[in-house]
Amino acid sequence: MNWNFEILPDFIFNGLRDGAVYAAAALALVLIFKATTLINFATGELAMLGAFFVYVLNIEQGLWLWLSIAIAMLISAAIGAAVERALVRPFDPADHLPVVLITLGLFLIINAVAGDIWNYQVRRVNDPFGHFPSWVPNGSELKTSSEGTIACLTNADGALAEVAPGTAGAEMCEMVGRTFFEVIGARLHYRTIGTWIGLALALIALAIILGKTKAGLAFRAVSSNTESARLVGVNTGRTLGFGWALASVFGTLSAALVAPALGGVNPNMMLTILIYALAGAALGGLDSLGGAVIGGLVVGLIKSVLVSWFGVVVLGQAYFSILQLAMAFLLILIVLLFRPAGLFGTRQIERV
Amino acid sequence: MSDDDWPTPMPRPGDDDENQGADASVFAVFAPPHDPLPDDTPPDDTTAAESPDETAAVPSGDDDDGEPEPAGAALSVRSARQAVPAAGSPPPSRVGSPMRGLAVPGGTDRVVGPRRRIGPLSWIGAALLGVWLVAMPLTSTVTELRQNTQIIVMVLAVLGVNIATGYGGMISLGHGVFVAVGAFAAAYAVDDLALPWIVSLVAGAAFAGVIGALVGLPALRIKGIHLALVTLGLAIVFQPLAKRVPAFSGGVSGRAVGAEMVPPSWFGTSRWAEGFYRYLICLAIVGLAIWLTRNIISSRPGRAMRAVRDNDTAAAVYGVNLVASRVSTFAASASLAGLAGALSIVLVPFTSQESFPFQESLVLYATAVLGGLGSIWGSVLGVAIREAFSRLGELVGEVGGLGPISEFLSLLDEEQFVFGVLLVALTFVFPRGLIGLFNRRRDTPVSSGAQNRTQP
Repeated sequence: MNWNFEILPDFIFNGLRDGAVYAAAALALVLIFKATTLINFATGELAMLGAFFVYVLNIEQGLWLWLSIAIAMLISAAIGAAVERALVRPFDPADHLPVVLITLGLFLIINAVAGDIWNYQVRRVNDPFGHFPSWVPNGSELKTSSEGTIACLTNADGALAEVAPGTAGAEMCEMVGRTFFEVIGARLHYRTIGTWIGLALALIALAIILGKTKAGLAFRAVSSNTESARLVGVNTGRTLGFGWALASVFGTLSAALVAPALGGVNPNMMLTILIYALAGAALGGLDSLGGAVIGGLVVGLIKSVLVSWFGVVVLGQAYFSILQLAMAFLLILIVLLFRPAGLFGTRQIERV
Repeated sequence: MSDDDWPTPMPRPGDDDENQGADASVFAVFAPPHDPLPDDTPPDDTTAAESPDETAAVPSGDDDDGEPEPAGAALSVRSARQAVPAAGSPPPSRVGSPMRGLAVPGGTDRVVGPRRRIGPLSWIGAALLGVWLVAMPLTSTVTELRQNTQIIVMVLAVLGVNIATGYGGMISLGHGVFVAVGAFAAAYAVDDLALPWIVSLVAGAAFAGVIGALVGLPALRIKGIHLALVTLGLAIVFQPLAKRVPAFSGGVSGRAVGAEMVPPSWFGTSRWAEGFYRYLICLAIVGLAIWLTRNIISSRPGRAMRAVRDNDTAAAVYGVNLVASRVSTFAASASLAGLAGALSIVLVPFTSQESFPFQESLVLYATAVLGGLGSIWGSVLGVAIREAFSRLGELVGEVGGLGPISEFLSLLDEEQFVFGVLLVALTFVFPRGLIGLFNRRRDTPVSSGAQNRTQP
């Protein structure tokens, strides 16, 4: 047992970074589940498609990164709404079988199309949160030694390397140093903060849309009771399409946020994230938006702290790192077995 | 009753001893000891067969086994062996032909389904299948023969999904896991334990069945789309996990199977003869498994299974042991998939976790639904259609020289894409599966289990 608490904050930051991505993806699942009690198994693939739109607009067409992300979100929203209108609405939502099939079919189609167009290599993307602007303190500068050389923390393994000032090594060091700064002895990456800010802004926007707009009101009405909403004149079909569009936006957000951390985009990038997102959504309760956010963050924390820190560092068992996915699966299983409504979901009352 | 109104398929009288022997041995595993669901109605008892819904709930009192029924008893409790078919008018012998199953797919579902008739398409389908089974090996090269045999073997895996989802009402998106487990276990048995092939195949199926029973346990509480979620999770988690257990799965590089199944020397020694021998073995085992499945489904455990699917509370009220029924349904469906996996290493003496990405599980599930849930021949049909379309796609995909169109056509080379499109399209046209084409009545009573939830 090696209780290495010094590096724990690192793991917590990483966990919350991943957790924010899972939260966004879980929101995409929950927005659809809330409205239609369907699980969209193609969520991850739609999100992957969104990330590829960002790639095409930004890398291939040279558009400004943030504008690319915004446009990609709009396209994804349109695709989400179109999918709902064309493929999902014709079916009775009470019967899961056809819609499960449709979303599975979509999954296969989107994956194959993306693989055909962009093949299965990982393609590098620009990191929206790559480096701090020059006015923030440099993480590496903290390590400047008395002899004038910079003890450079390389980003990859955290090892110290001595470099002389003014060389290419020092420049590299400067670059790497500007991706993080130190808080309570741990590295807080700009990418991590950026991911949190991205999620927070999206959540605020979602809260405003759902709370203050007519469309949001209609969405809440439909998700609370579809029949009654229809009776009071809500256009339920259009509202469900709106829900799918919102969900696609959140899916694209999660994929765009996670792509740089994965090293780039590729057609299978969202597979494992889908599982973590499902775990987060199940934990939070499949029909609770706030629950999805908290569930996603908790899943990220569990994965990082419980499995990576406790399992690998404290227990010293390297094989724990392969249990991350299994942990997500176990979490889904345990939650659905013992508390099917999750932490914040609505309990199903079964009357016979 | 007109002439073409066959009674729903029954065990042929001549086969009964054998049938029930098989059933009884299966019962030992599948049926709770005091299962009060009525047993098979005797073959000539068409009235009972025609009012299937009542049969499920309250058996008619007109037994032919001479057991006195207590007056006013709501339930009659009989054991499987006591169901002696009445002598007298046996059902027409055509019932025993292979046509029967194809023609009356829902016939195995008769307790809850309406009676069905033989449609002309069924005859054509059966004829095509028969011709293909004979002509295919004779016209194939060694490689083609092996590939086609693998397709036949995969029918079992799809049938496994069908048992869990179509008959048991439990959506399973993870049956690829059981195929993989069956393949690994059979490889382990035949190589590391040096067991004979037949034993290894059974071991593969049995091991997958045990794993399936474990997976079936959560299904006691988790239903509908939530179960889909859990089984999908299992499918996604399996591959990376299997990679880390090299002793069993061969790890990253996979495991080659040392002991190959070779025909006896009198059979022939050419590579084609070897392939043909394996084809015959696989065909026989697949046929046997389908026959066993059919018998299980149309006997007591099968009825319990469907009763639980349609309304578990009502089934429990009538004395079905829900735990035993659900778990054994999942175990049976998993062992069918495991058998498919075990047979696959007979054909290709190599297995690896790489061969079982989780998309494979999705494809299995989708194929089962495509063909038609709640129908054994639906699974056969599903596999046939899937293969037919993927070959068609390959053919079209190879057409070149059309400029931008051939760019698009190259997509048709991808099995995944063709299958996805087929899936979406057919869900629109035949939401209950293609087998509906073959029935005159399409209202196969299949629910995803979600409908069990009673509306307040």
